[in-house]
Amino acid sequence: MPDRLDRPSGEGLAPSPGTNNTAVATVELRGVTKRYGSVTACQDVDLTIWPGQIHGILGENGAGKSTLMKMLIGLVRPDHGSILLHGSPRRIHDPQTAADLGIGMVHQHFSLVDTLTVWENVLLGDHHRFDRAAARRQVAETGERYGLQVDPDRVVGDLSAGLRQRVELIKCLRRDPSILILDEPTSVLTPAESEDLFTTLRTVVVGEGRAVALVSHKLAEILHATDEVTIMRQGRVVEHRATAGATAADLAAQMVGRIVSLRDTAAALGATGYTTSRGHRLTEPATDEVLRVEGVTVVRHGVAVLDDLSLTVRAGEIVGVAGVEGNGQRELGDVLSSLVHLDRGRVTVDGVVAHPGRAGDMAKLGVAVIPEDRHDSGCVLTMSVAENLLLDRIGSVCRAGFVRRAELRRRANELIAEFEIYGAGPDAPFSSLSGGNQQKVVLARELSHSPKVLVAAQPTRGLDVGAIEYMSARLRAAAASGIAVLLISTELEEIIDLSDRIVVMSRGTVIGELDRAEATPERLGLLLGGVADETSKLAGGR
Amino acid sequence: MNAPARRSSAGIPSRSSARRAAVVVGLYVGCVVAALAVAAALVAMTGGPWRKVLSALLDGSLRNPGRWGTTLLEATPLLIVALGVIVATRAGLVNIGQEGQLAVGAAAATWVAINFSGPIALIGVFIAGFLGGALWAGLAAVLRYWRKVPEVISTLLLVFIAAQFTGWLLSRSFLLMHYEKGVMNQVQTSKQLDPATRVGMIRVAGNSFPWTAVAAVAAAVAVGVLLQRTRWGFRLTMLGHNPRTAQRIGVPIVLAGASALMLSGGLAGAAGAAMLAAGAGGYTFTPGFSNNVGWEGLLVALVARNRPLACIPVAFVFAMLRTGSGFLSSTGVSRSIAEVVRALLVLAMLVPPALLALRERRQGRGIAAVVTIAEPLAVPVQVAQ
Repeated sequence: MPDRLDRPSGEGLAPSPGTNNTAVATVELRGVTKRYGSVTACQDVDLTIWPGQIHGILGENGAGKSTLMKMLIGLVRPDHGSILLHGSPRRIHDPQTAADLGIGMVHQHFSLVDTLTVWENVLLGDHHRFDRAAARRQVAETGERYGLQVDPDRVVGDLSAGLRQRVELIKCLRRDPSILILDEPTSVLTPAESEDLFTTLRTVVVGEGRAVALVSHKLAEILHATDEVTIMRQGRVVEHRATAGATAADLAAQMVGRIVSLRDTAAALGATGYTTSRGHRLTEPATDEVLRVEGVTVVRHGVAVLDDLSLTVRAGEIVGVAGVEGNGQRELGDVLSSLVHLDRGRVTVDGVVAHPGRAGDMAKLGVAVIPEDRHDSGCVLTMSVAENLLLDRIGSVCRAGFVRRAELRRRANELIAEFEIYGAGPDAPFSSLSGGNQQKVVLARELSHSPKVLVAAQPTRGLDVGAIEYMSARLRAAAASGIAVLLISTELEEIIDLSDRIVVMSRGTVIGELDRAEATPERLGLLLGGVADETSKLAGGR
Repeated sequence: MNAPARRSSAGIPSRSSARRAAVVVGLYVGCVVAALAVAAALVAMTGGPWRKVLSALLDGSLRNPGRWGTTLLEATPLLIVALGVIVATRAGLVNIGQEGQLAVGAAAATWVAINFSGPIALIGVFIAGFLGGALWAGLAAVLRYWRKVPEVISTLLLVFIAAQFTGWLLSRSFLLMHYEKGVMNQVQTSKQLDPATRVGMIRVAGNSFPWTAVAAVAAAVAVGVLLQRTRWGFRLTMLGHNPRTAQRIGVPIVLAGASALMLSGGLAGAAGAAMLAAGAGGYTFTPGFSNNVGWEGLLVALVARNRPLACIPVAFVFAMLRTGSGFLSSTGVSRSIAEVVRALLVLAMLVPPALLALRERRQGRGIAAVVTIAEPLAVPVQVAQ
């Protein structure tokens, strides 16, 4: 656990609401609610951010943090509630209004143009006539003032992630914002770069009395860098407190919540048939290891995106791979989809060594995949539903190399009925299906040729409650029928709910492994936050 | 759920397809009329018989005795080249080097024709043409999959290398040059093909056209069936529209892509052989032999929007422009103006598909079509010399 940064005792610390009535909050949200259809992204949220403070906003993926920030910068309008800036209520219609009101935001995914230089990027979005010399001077001056040195003439595409973020910060700071919002700012940074960032933020806050909202799900950095923290879970604020005195374990428990409460919520959302009993749960763990990933290393652009990763999945069990997004999950999915060559290590399926870089090899060995992004490697959007259902076995409806349309349609109709794919017949274009039904097509295809292994990467992302419930039931059924299921997900709730065994991934390798019984949300939260858990078994030791 | 909204925009076929067809026809008529008007104005300004531009074009391409046979002769290689374009496009590759692949194919065909004789040699001519074009495209395939050089660039640049390469072949008497004894300045042409290696002509009502024209139509049908109805076509389409899915499912990207590119080049080369054996250049291979057929075949595929059967009439219309403009220049319009008139009409054929593709993109579909339409348009296509 890193030490907290130096901060002037007393004056920098929050005049908490109630203790100091004379101070005016930079931003105050009162009872803000935002719904998307039947899903409530933010429910009755109160949030107060004071000048001269770094305010942490902590929560899992999908807890409503980003929606909240989008409302602040005018990308989303709240259904209910009010936003007060410096004590007076404001309506923020669009990002331009937000910028004029002194709200600046650094997005998680940078909004820079790679082919332009630094000063050109800083100027983007300005209305008045641009002045090259003045812009370059401004970049240099702003950089000097905040310790964000960057050469204004460099092309942004050549810069490292840390430098790009400096450019984003300069873009915001030169507009002299009274509040600066950072959305998961360290997700692409090295630890040293993160440290620099927090130093800068401290300058901004202490030196100039600005307010900073730091959106994150990393416990360590919330503890390290913030003055106050607001914890969100499922769209609600569950805790608001001063950071001083908080421990990682407290925060993790609040962030993740208790399983009991999660189940209640699921029931409240109308997920009928939500089962808590796990019929297929193995009492004697004697089944064979079907999928073995041993010491797999994949290097991309000089960085080991998978670093000596090992894990195994037995027949009939669901192994959950938990982790913060961008820690190698996508690459692990690619390996199991025959999309990348291994630099080291090996993958075996039922004892047979696979060649993950060879087209279709994993599929041939019986590894079915529901990809993280189905549009990326799970379907062909321009083809019909029927063609997508039989994408990999088109040969089975062919005679002498010619596709038999009637047979194709008949087989597709069978799958459509079995997997309850509503909304379109076999000849409809795949792209006309809703997200949930597209996912069902992928699932139907992958399960329809009795695979040995099913890899499900973020299988419920972007789906509605009903589709999530359907997908969960299918994954359980697959495991019950003896398939080895590898569930890769950033949704902790999903992992805990479905998995028999949980491994935690960080920086391309497995940093901890828990049996379902010992997987308390607190421990998982700690592991996810990058806090090593000495009691967890190391995967390599098995 | 945004499914219902998407479904309606993705096309309720019955009602909107009639409207769509009307829009397409209207676009073409409008563009051609506009091009003819500009052409007439140009001819008038240069003192030619501007009222007769359209009728001269039709006389030269269809109405005068024997002309539609000549147009069919011209249409044959255009159609074969266009089919090759479609094969590459289907695999997601943009091959725009047909002009060079055709020339190399024709050179290879020439070599077989002047070194062998007999009825088997004619088959050899076509095989050699195919292989020549395929190997030339194969160079681009090697660069694409070994060094990641975009095939758009490499196929285009190989056109210019092909021109130099075939010129060199024609400058060596032990290769293709026909060496005449006692002549001071040797002309860079090959020996004339002897009758055994020429394609037979079909004569109908005073018109004659080579049987390769019939074969090309059959090839268009075959390519259409192969792409639309077979496992091979299915996998090629998968590769073209989503290579990562294809790789996961088990379509080897390099093998499938390279063979599609080589087939594409091979068809261009076969078109070169067909031109040679049907009398282009007076049955001799000469510098500049391909005479823009490669470029125009590319445009045929573009206008036909990559549908093999649609290529048949489009290739014929492009051939009409070739034969018609040739005739136009014999009616008192200067040669260069006649070429400009042809270029204008070619342009008129290209505007509608480009506009349609743009409209589809605005509606958020047919993105692949836009890419394939837009990219070749971005390179300088020489129509008029």
